[in-house]
Amino acid sequence: MTKLEIEYLLPTWSEKLGIYRERVRNFWKIYSTSKMGIVGLGLVLSFFIIAVFASLIAPYDPYKFVGPPLLKPTESYILGTDHLGRDIFSRIIYGARISLLIGLVAAAISVGIGTIIGLTSGYFGGFLDAVLMRITDMFITMPTLPLMLILASILGKGLINIIIVISILYWTPTARMVRSQTISLKERPFVEASKAVGCSDLRIIGRHIAPNVFPLVFANAIITIVDAILAEAGLSFLGLGDPFQPSWGMVLHYANLAGAVVHGLWWQIIPPGACIMLLVLGFALVSYSLDQILNPRLRKR
Amino acid sequence: MGMREYILRRAISSIITLALIIALNFFIFRIMPGDPTRTIVGDVRLRPETRELLRQQFGLDKPIWVQFILYIQNLAVGNLGVSFQYKGTPVTEVIFGRRLTNTLILMGSSIALALIMGMILGVIAAWKRGSKLDVSMLTFTLVAYSMPVFWLGMLIILFFGFYLKLIPLAGTVTPGVEYSNFFDYALDYLHHLIGPMVTLTIIDIAYYFLIMRNTMLDIFTEDYMLTAKAKGLRDRIILFRHGMKNAMLPMVSVIALTVIYLFGGATLTETVFSWYGIGRLTYESVMMADYPVLQGIFLVMAIAVILANFIADIVYAYLDPRIRY
Repeated sequence: MTKLEIEYLLPTWSEKLGIYRERVRNFWKIYSTSKMGIVGLGLVLSFFIIAVFASLIAPYDPYKFVGPPLLKPTESYILGTDHLGRDIFSRIIYGARISLLIGLVAAAISVGIGTIIGLTSGYFGGFLDAVLMRITDMFITMPTLPLMLILASILGKGLINIIIVISILYWTPTARMVRSQTISLKERPFVEASKAVGCSDLRIIGRHIAPNVFPLVFANAIITIVDAILAEAGLSFLGLGDPFQPSWGMVLHYANLAGAVVHGLWWQIIPPGACIMLLVLGFALVSYSLDQILNPRLRKR
Repeated sequence: MGMREYILRRAISSIITLALIIALNFFIFRIMPGDPTRTIVGDVRLRPETRELLRQQFGLDKPIWVQFILYIQNLAVGNLGVSFQYKGTPVTEVIFGRRLTNTLILMGSSIALALIMGMILGVIAAWKRGSKLDVSMLTFTLVAYSMPVFWLGMLIILFFGFYLKLIPLAGTVTPGVEYSNFFDYALDYLHHLIGPMVTLTIIDIAYYFLIMRNTMLDIFTEDYMLTAKAKGLRDRIILFRHGMKNAMLPMVSVIALTVIYLFGGATLTETVFSWYGIGRLTYESVMMADYPVLQGIFLVMAIAVILANFIADIVYAYLDPRIRY
């Protein structure tokens, strides 16, 4: 066959687009039957909307001292004010931005690192694999939270530093999963065939292995978002978050400093924690339903 | 491969991991910003003669590889340096004291409770898949998983401590109380233990439940379960003698992983409840820049975990000979 004839047999761009559209439609058909999945998606989307329109929803500037300190909830300050006189409700609304930003960026970076390490380790094997897996083991053996505290205190307080700390510590599960998947894919006939026709390693990984690992990586990414959101909340609560950003963990940190628990200031405690819980629950539900779809073993039962 | 060879291989792998962690533990505290020697001895909270002694012990004016060798040598004789925040108290004394006991009691009790309840509920939920119990346990699991543990602790203090006055608001014992006998002391201690223990148990149950449930669902598809049923055995015997026994295999490695929390404590929970344990010590040491103590905590945790994993591997291989090959 000449080159032209081969190209004639391959799908055109519009056909490809049609295939993808069909796939997405089929996927949605299965996904929308899951009640849990819909609730989860709803929760995540609502927080996205809150984050995008924060400046319209929040009645006050969350960074400014807008009232007397430690006010109880009133008509003008729905959830009262913190110890510096900042409006807690506005801070919680803006907090959605911080949590989503940190969750998405940190998850993207750590899943990226994990995928690259997993692919390299699984595909090349041998000494490189042994070294990379020892490093992974070491990270798994180290206690996460104390390590995070130390790294955060070395790097200093700031949004970018928190993202770096989380990214450094949360890539291991992805790396392990991608590695084992890569090892099993490596033995498949289509990889051997591409090797036989002289494809480079980079091309085999990029064109044949990576796309097959992708669904797994995607499912893992959502769980990593959850981990990142909870990690930021914990770090901020302990006072190692960015003191200039109104994250939910930071609101709880200041509440704790103000003695909210022992003085019964529930309005400072319940709403920010509930926000963390609902956003995380949203992502967890989405991940749970995706797992049901992507994992054929579960679907059968 | 025989059992002996298997143990040897696991031992070598564990030692390599331990060596890596010791090296990392050494270097991470030398890359602190500022003069690296300051983080070890330069702290103004120490007396000059203590500083001079440490400078010699750890060779801080020498090249870094000499320091590393000295560090290993000191480690071998159990010298982990001295604490800054406790003005020169040896790190080993700070860690291996009241704090470790408190953490072992808190973590031990909550892990044991969560493990037993999580496993039993997991077996029953898997057996009655899709039942009301299964669905409500799954919902509980997702909610518990989504809750920040420190927030759950705050809620428990708020409701059961502040509003209902059932548990104390903070601490390990009531401060400033003279106990007439040990029984009174134990009672006060247990009263303080309830809050953090319940918090950790709630979070952990969810974890063990889910693992047990999924393992059991896998086991139900095995032929030996069908055989047991065909033999006409009672449900309870099938479930616990044939099912749960086999589900214990994956549980062994799960339990080994919890050892890190057994020794390391739960920093967030201990901080919320002001529990005088290793977890809070970690937090305080970070805040006070008490690097020697942090280094010590890390080392203890790492050794405990590696040892636990090593034992788990052997137990696993003993229970399931297929692993060895």
